Amino acid sequence: MSEDRPATGPRQRIERLGAAALDGLAATGQLAGMLGATWRGVVRGRRPPGEVANQMFVVGNKSLLFVAVTLGFIGMVMVYQSCLQLERITGDLSRIGPEFLKLLVQDFGPTITALMLATRVGAGIAAEIGSMVVTEQVDALRMSGVTPIDYLIAPRFIACVVMGAVLTVFGVAIAYLAGGLTAWSSFDLNPRLFFDPSRVGFLDLCLGLTKTLCYGMAIPVISGACGLRARGGSEGVGAATTAAVIGSSLAVIALDLVISGVGLLLVGHGR
Amino acid sequence: MTGARRAALRSPIETLGATAMQVAREAGGITLLAGRVLRCLVPPSMDGRELTRNMYRMGNRSVPIVALTAFFVGGIMVIQAGMYVRQFNATGLVGWGAGYAIFREIGPVLIALMFSGRVGSNNTAELGTMTVTEGTMTVTEQLDGLRALAIDPIRYLIVPRVVAMMVMLFILTVVGDLVSIAGGMLFSRLLIGIDPSTFYYSLVDNLDWIDFVHGLVKSAVFGLSIALTSCYFGVSVRGGAVGVGRAVNAAVVAAAVSIMLLDFFLTFLLP
Repeated sequence: MSEDRPATGPRQRIERLGAAALDGLAATGQLAGMLGATWRGVVRGRRPPGEVANQMFVVGNKSLLFVAVTLGFIGMVMVYQSCLQLERITGDLSRIGPEFLKLLVQDFGPTITALMLATRVGAGIAAEIGSMVVTEQVDALRMSGVTPIDYLIAPRFIACVVMGAVLTVFGVAIAYLAGGLTAWSSFDLNPRLFFDPSRVGFLDLCLGLTKTLCYGMAIPVISGACGLRARGGSEGVGAATTAAVIGSSLAVIALDLVISGVGLLLVGHGR
Repeated sequence: MTGARRAALRSPIETLGATAMQVAREAGGITLLAGRVLRCLVPPSMDGRELTRNMYRMGNRSVPIVALTAFFVGGIMVIQAGMYVRQFNATGLVGWGAGYAIFREIGPVLIALMFSGRVGSNNTAELGTMTVTEGTMTVTEQLDGLRALAIDPIRYLIVPRVVAMMVMLFILTVVGDLVSIAGGMLFSRLLIGIDPSTFYYSLVDNLDWIDFVHGLVKSAVFGLSIALTSCYFGVSVRGGAVGVGRAVNAAVVAAAVSIMLLDFFLTFLLP
């Protein structure tokens, strides 16, 4: 990330684009390897007793307020904006609640919760592991014959997968509630019309759950990898934390696109 | 961490109070910083070279990540709209639905979140490293040192960053919105077989300039809040590499919360 302007010829531009693509591919390959190693660590690695519960507390309970605030406000905003537009175009608001819940369950709930987790938990994991790397604690672990992936990343992985799902359910509930209150107070929409789960099908639940689990796996692995790569003092830790936030947010959005695309094709064939 | 857990189990009220105090302290610090930045801007005078350097570094260098995110987001919005198209055969509404959501909400918010992850956290790490590498010097002492050299640290370090982030997030949102729409057109052609011209006319016939401007005003405000939070957490770093990691984490969390909060208020205030 040098600050001087790079050479700008058409050829250099193409070369840089290609280099970036190759780097991306290499990073994806490394992350896939790391995901495998993490699964191995989860299944039969050694980890400190009580560490999983501890991480669950850090990932889950400590994010509760953050998720509640952000999801609550985004729920209000989304319902307000859609009511505004629907009122102008069709004037019929009765379907907004069921449709909002469907959208929330199969896409926005898992994705926005995961984006919030990527900022809060992803940055936390990278900062913590990065600090351990630069203060040579990870080297000490290696010296005593413990793999850092089993010891550090596996507990966070389990905690993120489980607590990611829990927080998503919580976030969807908060956003739905906040949305219903907004529709009721700003547009006089009867709450009985809004709180109607009839539009949510089995496929929506499956899609939402798949997304949640994939995000829960991606965030700790990417952030952990960024943390383990930290080099050289506070600058290195800062860079690792930044890379973790960006990497895991981008992964969440890309996974969302892929899983939603597959979901759309499934719906198409199902009908 | 176990200590924190025990404390939380012992007395939830105590933790709640401590959290409230912490939030109040941070909000106060950010407001004070905003006031000092504003005072430097009243007759606008700042280091021009520092400003352009920051703009290039924060803006131009973020184009790839913002464009990639926006492209994916366009695809996701079209897939969501596609579910309804399949159901009601409403091909004429995809451009409108996707465009409305992207321009007013999803575009500004997601681009701001990515910008906060890349530029905001980078900024915190940089200012934080600057702060801790001065060894035992605290921030205020260091700022005193700069002042002794007749350099106003706020004017020299903070103001150019704040202005650069505001301007650049605004411009990046314009770019991102357009890339997003292009991505939406591409995915609607590929996945649900809607012609780009149908998409385009559905967009321009049903949307107003005001929808586009609504999102851009939001993005400028988000830029200001990201800049202030990241600078505040950067200059208040304590305690070496661990402190820098923790500050970056706190900065991205605070930025995410303030983006969601401001989004809510701006949605109600703006037309």
